[in-house]
Amino acid sequence: MASIPPKPENPLHLHTTKLTLGCPILDSFLGGGIPCGSITELVGESSAGKTQLCLQLLLSSLLPPSLGGLSSPSLYIYSEPPFPLRRLLRLSLPSLPPRPLDHIFVRPAHSADDLLSLLSHLPDSLPVRLIIIDSIAALFRSEFDNTPRDLKSRSSLFFKIATKLKDRARKLGAAVVVTNHVVDVVEAECGGARCLWSSGRRVVPALGLAWSHCVNTRVFLTRSEGMVRRSNGEECEVRTRRMHVVFSPCLPERSCEFAIVGHGVLGVG
Amino acid sequence: MLSEEQALRHISTGSGDLDSILGGGIHCKEVTEIGGVPGIGKTQLGIQLAINVQIPYDFGGLGGKAIYIDTEGSFMAERAYQIAEASILDTFDNFGCQLKEIPEKLKAESFLANIFYFRICSYTEQIALINYLDQFLVEHKDVKIVIIDSVTFHFRQDFDDLALRTRVLGGMSQKLMNLAKKFSLSVVLMNQVTTKFTEGSFHLTLALGDSWSHSCTNRVILYWNGNDRYAYLDKSPYLRPASVHFSVTGKGIRDATSQCKRVRMM
Repeated sequence: MASIPPKPENPLHLHTTKLTLGCPILDSFLGGGIPCGSITELVGESSAGKTQLCLQLLLSSLLPPSLGGLSSPSLYIYSEPPFPLRRLLRLSLPSLPPRPLDHIFVRPAHSADDLLSLLSHLPDSLPVRLIIIDSIAALFRSEFDNTPRDLKSRSSLFFKIATKLKDRARKLGAAVVVTNHVVDVVEAECGGARCLWSSGRRVVPALGLAWSHCVNTRVFLTRSEGMVRRSNGEECEVRTRRMHVVFSPCLPERSCEFAIVGHGVLGVG
Repeated sequence: MLSEEQALRHISTGSGDLDSILGGGIHCKEVTEIGGVPGIGKTQLGIQLAINVQIPYDFGGLGGKAIYIDTEGSFMAERAYQIAEASILDTFDNFGCQLKEIPEKLKAESFLANIFYFRICSYTEQIALINYLDQFLVEHKDVKIVIIDSVTFHFRQDFDDLALRTRVLGGMSQKLMNLAKKFSLSVVLMNQVTTKFTEGSFHLTLALGDSWSHSCTNRVILYWNGNDRYAYLDKSPYLRPASVHFSVTGKGIRDATSQCKRVRMM
């Protein structure tokens, strides 16, 4: 049986394409944008801005490469119906092609096995260069108990799903974005996961340590409320949203402030 | 003979403190396992070693090439370039050189070109590649380090037969040990971390099971101590366990810069 020996690649020819987030401040913060060829996780509590960012990426991927896009359709897999169509319709970006919604493929996933099956049966001819899973956490919520056997089979599913996603990312040069929820930290020790504060709670990403090993980049979106004293002496509540790089193959740990405004997610310089 | 002397040299990790608990750096002819949680710096250390193995012999390095086997997709060329640039500059600084014109072979582009990069997408691809390395290394005798980042990823999906997984892992580690000895190179294996329930509570432990722990000559565990990165020499044939504070910077792996950095001997 003749087999073709594997051929090494030269890293000089391995440039990582980045997908713009549609905002120059956020792009700069993330070293150019969301990287293609690997999995980026957006983690945060409800209403942190994860879905909003994902919807924005669905549009920015349609932009030409000269504007940081991928000139390609995308696939949005959602696990918490309904699909947020109204929110998508409120977004806009300059220089979009006509009828952008025609280039966005949308599929529901009802369970982890459903997602795995969906990913396994994606036709190779589907030219998507952005795959979004919103959210991965909802697929694992009720199905598994905390028995060692269930945790093991859950963990095994993480790696199977991640392998399929990375495979697609590699073959298509696609950006893969997965959203995840947070859980409260109970013990004093975070146990390997970096915890962050959001809305006054100490939280860690859901799905545990095994899932953490499945993503290449982790971006944490947090919210905090605080009181600020105005110049006229009045106190008012200020809500701050921050985006944190928790780990990344090429970015240092850092954070930046962002805001969600009617037409999208914007960095605050 | 030059190659014998080269074999006695170590590959610097970029952090002098970390090098010293390792007895000078990563050893040739041996398999070193590096384990830790996501984000602790395993890939960063892997890239640093793939660069530092290339530091010319006259500057204290091995002047060798690297094989980087990427199973997770975390290797980014831009980061490797950044680390290469900094390593080259620091090497010249250390030797008090002020070269007006840096020779072509000492530019970051050349360092990147000297990394044989393989992207592996399944455990069968991984086994096939490791089996092929013997032939590849005969054809590329200047390779002095083989890095697998991570050796673990493709083995954490269901192996219906756990005994089979243990056999496959055992065969793989034996092959890698043989390659290290035969070609006088370093093999560095990145490993993930999992939680094990023992004695009534959960503990962090390296992945791939108990039998895997015999698969390496040396083991280094990277861990967080508060907001600081530490490396712990967990296994070595002749060095005492010790831990040291190190950092990951824009330049790559370096000594910790804080005042209270400690090297703790156990």
